[in-house]
Amino acid sequence: MDKTPETVKPDMTRVAEIIDSYREQSWPLIPLLQEIQDEIGYIPPEAINPIARAFALFPSEVQGVITFYEQLYTTPRGKRVVRVCRGTACHVRGGKTILKLVKQHLGLEEGQTSPDLEYTLETVACIGVCALAPNIVIGKDTHGNMNPKKVAQLFEDKKGSG
Amino acid sequence: MEAITITLNGREVSGHTGMTVLELARESGVDIPTLCHDPCLAPIGACRICLVEDERSGRLSASCVTPIEAGMVINTESPKVQERRTTIIKLMLSSHPDSCLVCDKGNTCELRKIASDIGIGVIDMQRIPQPATIEEVNPFIERDLSKCILCAKCIRADQEMVVEGAIDYINRGFASKPATLNDMPLENSECTFCGTCVAICPTGALMEKQPVYRGTTPTNVSTICPFCGCGCSINLGVRDNRIVRARPGKESTVNHGTLCVRGSYGYDFVHSPERLTSPLMRVNGDFEAVSWEQALDHMSSELNRIKKAHGSNSLAVLGSSRCTNEENYLLQRLARCVLGTNNIDNSSRLYSAASIAGLGAAVGFAGSTNCLDALEQSEVILVIGANLPASAPIVGYAVKRAARYKGAKLLLVDPQQTRLASFAHLWLRPRIGTDVALINGMARFIINEGLLDDEFVTRKTDNFEALTKDLKKYTPKYVEKVTGVPGEDVCRAARLFAEATLASIVYGNGITQHVTGTDSVMALANLAMLTGNIGITGGIFAMQRYCNGQGACDMGTTPDLLPGYQSVDNDAERKRFADRWGTDLPVNPGLTALEVMEQAKDGNVKGICIVGENPVLSFPSPSLVKQALESLDFLVVSDMFLTETAKLANVVLPAASFAEKEGTFTNFEGRVQQLHKVIEPLGDSLPDWEIINRMASSMGNPMPYSSLQEVMDEIQEMVSLYQITDYRDSQTKDIHRAELDRDPLKKRRLYKGQFPSGFGRFSPVHYEPPAEMPKDGYPLTLLVGSILYHSGTGSRSSRSPRLRAFSPEAYVEIGESDAGQVGISDGESVKVISPIGEVNAVAKITDTMPEGMLFMPLSFPSTPVNQLFGITLDPRTKTPALKACAVKLERAEPHG
Repeated sequence: MDKTPETVKPDMTRVAEIIDSYREQSWPLIPLLQEIQDEIGYIPPEAINPIARAFALFPSEVQGVITFYEQLYTTPRGKRVVRVCRGTACHVRGGKTILKLVKQHLGLEEGQTSPDLEYTLETVACIGVCALAPNIVIGKDTHGNMNPKKVAQLFEDKKGSG
Repeated sequence: MEAITITLNGREVSGHTGMTVLELARESGVDIPTLCHDPCLAPIGACRICLVEDERSGRLSASCVTPIEAGMVINTESPKVQERRTTIIKLMLSSHPDSCLVCDKGNTCELRKIASDIGIGVIDMQRIPQPATIEEVNPFIERDLSKCILCAKCIRADQEMVVEGAIDYINRGFASKPATLNDMPLENSECTFCGTCVAICPTGALMEKQPVYRGTTPTNVSTICPFCGCGCSINLGVRDNRIVRARPGKESTVNHGTLCVRGSYGYDFVHSPERLTSPLMRVNGDFEAVSWEQALDHMSSELNRIKKAHGSNSLAVLGSSRCTNEENYLLQRLARCVLGTNNIDNSSRLYSAASIAGLGAAVGFAGSTNCLDALEQSEVILVIGANLPASAPIVGYAVKRAARYKGAKLLLVDPQQTRLASFAHLWLRPRIGTDVALINGMARFIINEGLLDDEFVTRKTDNFEALTKDLKKYTPKYVEKVTGVPGEDVCRAARLFAEATLASIVYGNGITQHVTGTDSVMALANLAMLTGNIGITGGIFAMQRYCNGQGACDMGTTPDLLPGYQSVDNDAERKRFADRWGTDLPVNPGLTALEVMEQAKDGNVKGICIVGENPVLSFPSPSLVKQALESLDFLVVSDMFLTETAKLANVVLPAASFAEKEGTFTNFEGRVQQLHKVIEPLGDSLPDWEIINRMASSMGNPMPYSSLQEVMDEIQEMVSLYQITDYRDSQTKDIHRAELDRDPLKKRRLYKGQFPSGFGRFSPVHYEPPAEMPKDGYPLTLLVGSILYHSGTGSRSSRSPRLRAFSPEAYVEIGESDAGQVGISDGESVKVISPIGEVNAVAKITDTMPEGMLFMPLSFPSTPVNQLFGITLDPRTKTPALKACAVKLERAEPHG
């Protein structure tokens, strides 16, 4: 669980509504967590107790499930999640430098989210398009054949702010 | 069950369907090492140490989760098995610190044991760095997760056995570890420090904090926990006549490997420096240590003088629900035969007399009607007036297990939000003291809707018509008006309870300590009988505050009842005892505990003998009690400590603790269990039974017992309830003094399905507005109860260093809105004032308290909450109302 400043209070009323909509389901926990994350952007730690109560689980159990899955988060995430590939092919073609540049542009370390909640920086082991290495994924868009110039273009609006 | 034969290490062995390979191997004497297996837990096959090979397929499988199949050829020590086992242990050791030499677990570490059995010394693997010890300030448990092998035993014990859910795995891969919510220290989590995880941890990852002694103890003795009425089996480790460790008894049918914080860590009161080690006698106003002869001579001459001058009834005796059955039996014989008075009572008068009167009248049997295992099998459990997680934790675990894992529906009736609330299917919050109306409302609904068990009511009960007639006015609307519980919830609760095949009722001091306690118990008995839930599985479970509250009453330390609940004015019974004891017995019922105090104040009672009780703290109106005791000609007290009561005595006799004596306790179920001597009595202290014997001898009227065994023999002969228990035989386990058939649980019946007298009797009872209601100038209702970290009035638990360190001072729980009105903030010192008295306490503001209600624990000798109570007695049982009273709240220091 990484530490990122929380700027907005999560909408707990909406969380409660989502929990309610799962009450009748069997094995609701993971789909419920996913839906909360889709809507709120992450799973607010305050949601753990109400979820545990609603489904007769222990809060520690719910936390166990959330922390087990890489794709569930308990801190807010940026609007755009940047994933820099650290796979072998990307590494051979300079992925390490690309990552360094992205860090500079965004002013973020791996796993961090910018205070304005615009960007979250992550690395990924391989995204399966090694022919285009080195790669960056922003949101759902993949950007191949990266070089310093292209990186600069991608993060033009961030230039100098980091 | 079908027998299945398999080949195990070349030998044919048979088991039954559903058995695992591991179970069959252990039964056949074949040892398979395990790290994550425990008979109290569901197997999960996590550690893989118990791998075995099926020689037909060559397949390896974890024996703890592999069911036996016909024709299996299992090898538990094949080369393949040994190789895998060795690798797994090496991997575990590679991420384990080299701290065996300084580890408290010593040679009880299961990982070390398996490694040394295999012969692994040096680890030729790269070491994996591990997390450091977690800083915790609690005085009980220390976690060093670098020694954790991820067997999940602690997590499973916490969730499956204790059902607290304080810990679970967090993260995954190398980072995974057992953690609390948000990875906080234990004291900031739901953890109740029951110590079950410490007892079950195979390595040194979970250890007792600051142990008195590190390492294996030379002697370990099983005995019974001396605190609440659950009667848990505890195993005490001893070194140099000092108890250094307590572990839960695994074999116990009561606690099944669990304990609570009192059982695991509270035993250290035994070695408190405040223990009395020699008799004390008051000489010119000060206590002087004297010999036993001097103390007893003085005592006997004084008591004999009072008896001669003022008659036997100017003497009174107070027994204890913390003393053994044998001690209570001897004490009532001392009172009746040696002193010649029926003025004998015990402290359970203060909380459980209503059970005896109420259940006695309705069911004909004074006490719980079934055993704890049966409670756990119930489909619906009604818990009323009992904060089980604090007052009877082991029963709390059973109720929580039933609710969370066995599909039982918990019907909770409690104005306060206890930890059980989150397990409740339906939670009703009636106003304090309105239980009779609520229960009657449920009973009326059950009758009106035809939900009652007709056959049971017709064949096994009487007085049904009177009940029906009397319940007419308890309509949902009326009940709602009185109790504040919505009428539809009352109906829902009634339907739920009536429609279950097996339903149980659990009640505690929240019922019995009201002025209307006996009525409430009778109303509950009516409810159970209407639905046919007495006699078969299910039943009524009456909680006991102290370890032997049930036994003390069974043994006749009561003014109106001889041992076995035989009335003193029953000529035949009195003659039976008189013949056995060879002396005439007093005929008229004596004074109850509270009446003794009143008579003492008026000068009619002149000498009192108190054994193991502290009325100055435990009785209402301590100032009156103190005044009464001070006005006596002579007071003798036998106790472990110089309690507030003992300080007023002329002679104080040093009593041995539970760990220093033999005898039996009868728990809330009616199970009679043996105490075993763990250490020698400290100093010149003696077990109470020996003290009572010596008292009788020194008064010139010795009792004919040369050993405890002779007392036990006589109890078994004279007390019918104990004739069926075989309790004299220390090997006998699972003995219940009610005649429960030894059938499988589902069919267990009390008295073969009959009531002792043949019929259960419905007793119509009516709601009376409680005297404790808020009144002019006293707008709040104060509830008083026990808390988990202390026991009773705290004379023992406040002398346990660890319990005291964790819960050092009295507090008063206040709801947010009430606190706001008086302008009190959390942690501030406040005054709680009743028309009778006042006490100071620290404010603890919570969101669990309903408006208009306060809660205070009763267990702090420095804050005697009983000062707030007047003597208002239940008219039937003379039990004082000690549960609730009207108070007001003030800041201790006004602003400015």
